[in-house]
Amino acid sequence: MSGIIVAENLCKVYRRGREEISALKNVDFHVDEGEFVSIIGPSGSGKTALLNVLGCLDTPTSGTLRLNGTETRGMKESELVRLRRQNIGFVFQQFYLMPTLTARENIELPLLFSRKTDNKKRIDEVLQMVGLSDRGDHLPEQLSGGEMQRVAIGRALINDPKIILADEPTGNLDSGTSGKIYELFRKLNDQGRTLVVVTHNLELARQAHKMYTLRDGRIAGCEEMDY
Amino acid sequence: MNFLTLAAKNLLRRRGRTLLTVLGVAIAITVLFSLLSLNSGYQKELNKEVNSLGVHILAVPKGCPYEAASLVIHGGVIPKYLTATDLDNVRSIEGIELAVPMLMHQFIRKDNKTGQDVPHIVFGIKIDEERELKPWWTVEGRYFTDNETRVMLVGRGLADKENLTVGSKIPSGPFKDFAIVGILNRTGDQDDQFHFVPLTEAQRVFNKEGKITTIAVKVRDVSQISRISAEMERIPDIQVVTMTQIMGTIMNLAGSARSLLLTVIAIALIISAFGIINTLLMSVNERTREFGVMKAIGASGLDIGKMVLAETVFITFSGGVIGTIAAVVGSRVIEGFVRGMLPYSPRGTMVSLSPELIGFALVFSIALGIVCGIYPAFKSSRLTPMEAIRSGVE
Repeated sequence: MSGIIVAENLCKVYRRGREEISALKNVDFHVDEGEFVSIIGPSGSGKTALLNVLGCLDTPTSGTLRLNGTETRGMKESELVRLRRQNIGFVFQQFYLMPTLTARENIELPLLFSRKTDNKKRIDEVLQMVGLSDRGDHLPEQLSGGEMQRVAIGRALINDPKIILADEPTGNLDSGTSGKIYELFRKLNDQGRTLVVVTHNLELARQAHKMYTLRDGRIAGCEEMDY
Repeated sequence: MNFLTLAAKNLLRRRGRTLLTVLGVAIAITVLFSLLSLNSGYQKELNKEVNSLGVHILAVPKGCPYEAASLVIHGGVIPKYLTATDLDNVRSIEGIELAVPMLMHQFIRKDNKTGQDVPHIVFGIKIDEERELKPWWTVEGRYFTDNETRVMLVGRGLADKENLTVGSKIPSGPFKDFAIVGILNRTGDQDDQFHFVPLTEAQRVFNKEGKITTIAVKVRDVSQISRISAEMERIPDIQVVTMTQIMGTIMNLAGSARSLLLTVIAIALIISAFGIINTLLMSVNERTREFGVMKAIGASGLDIGKMVLAETVFITFSGGVIGTIAAVVGSRVIEGFVRGMLPYSPRGTMVSLSPELIGFALVFSIALGIVCGIYPAFKSSRLTPMEAIRSGVE
């Protein structure tokens, strides 16, 4: 099967003491390059667990995952780091910006880890892409929620990844700001990036090409949208 | 931006805590630096001082307690005497350049200001030979000659304390009406507090005609010291003490004080090290989620470990720089404090500030950072991103 993200029979079991919690049960998941995919479902349905496994932040208990043609099973931590750096950009609900770094420096951070130097032009480009050209020197505490999420999106974009994974990116934002963030996502998708977005917001989820519904750790449905 | 600026910005996030940790390191480094500089300075100055005395061997009366020999250069009183025959016997030994007789005696005199009885030390000396031993002596007024009577030299410290001036006379005591012909310019050692009279005058005043308490010997060739001191030992009344032995005695006494200080430093450093480790572990625990996010955006475990290590070295190096500067600036104060603790202090400055020592203090502070940072860095680098993001405390 081709596709930029191909997951088959994914299972994820968390152990808490003697208790075992199955977060994912035999999940098959397929995303083509350039697709915009939403994942919805009630709390505890396994949305975030799936996103974390897809992003190699967590390893599946069983099943296989192929990212951009690379089989991830049995990879060492250092290889997973490289795979993440080259292919994936993460956006979190709580933004997770470094409070002592300016917007520009937060966006620059992944470049530091990739050992890329002389990045000024690239950072300016990304700041412009997320609409924060004039806010680069502000600290996170001086930015609004929407602006902070834009910085986080800029940080995810700086290494020019093929895939953007976003975990409830509008969960902390009002509806107006959420709409603008989705506009930005669609723009990025139009530029050819693959997006997988976990959300509670059905209205926003419908703006993707495809909408997966998760329930009790299983794929309960997959709906094609009019994009 | 690089790892160092990232580390510095992280530290600035908790300014108070960082500052206190830096101060802890600074204090430890100040104490370490001061003691090391004092240690090397003390030995250097003591060597210089003993060498500049020009005396290689002291002969004192037999039965004199061993440690009392070191009293000789402090101006202590030895209650037994040598004779002119002993002096002649010493002088007859081959290889001796100078054998200088001294009669050291204590006397009581009323203080000019308070009127109280105060003990004083007087040296009966042969002036020319004494000046050969102490070429740094200079005088306000003039030196006496060996044949003069009722004349005296006094040390500058004593003169200042008792308002004695050149031309004035001693108002009371056994040297009543002795004229002060000269005041020795300040030497920085015990001579500043002594009275000096011609040897014959001292012997006359104390009824010790022909008696002396010490013979200071200077040899022609220092390699002959052990042979000459062995020959001197054969003279029945004489106990021989070489300056090496005196230095050994002083160094032993000073050594005990130094060991005590070293223990204090070791404890200060250990406490400081645990303080740093504790601060870092706390900071690592608080930032678990942040490290998880960093891993999610492309940081490797090594990157996180490096960042934590950079933060530690930042703290200890800043502490090292501040500590070294504080030690250099405050060296006089510390020297004064240590002088009070040591049984014998040379007159020159005891603080020796060499570039090597400054380099050592700074390298030591970096090493301290690496040692303290290794565990927290290792701990933070081992976190898996998901674990970190999920369990993080903010």
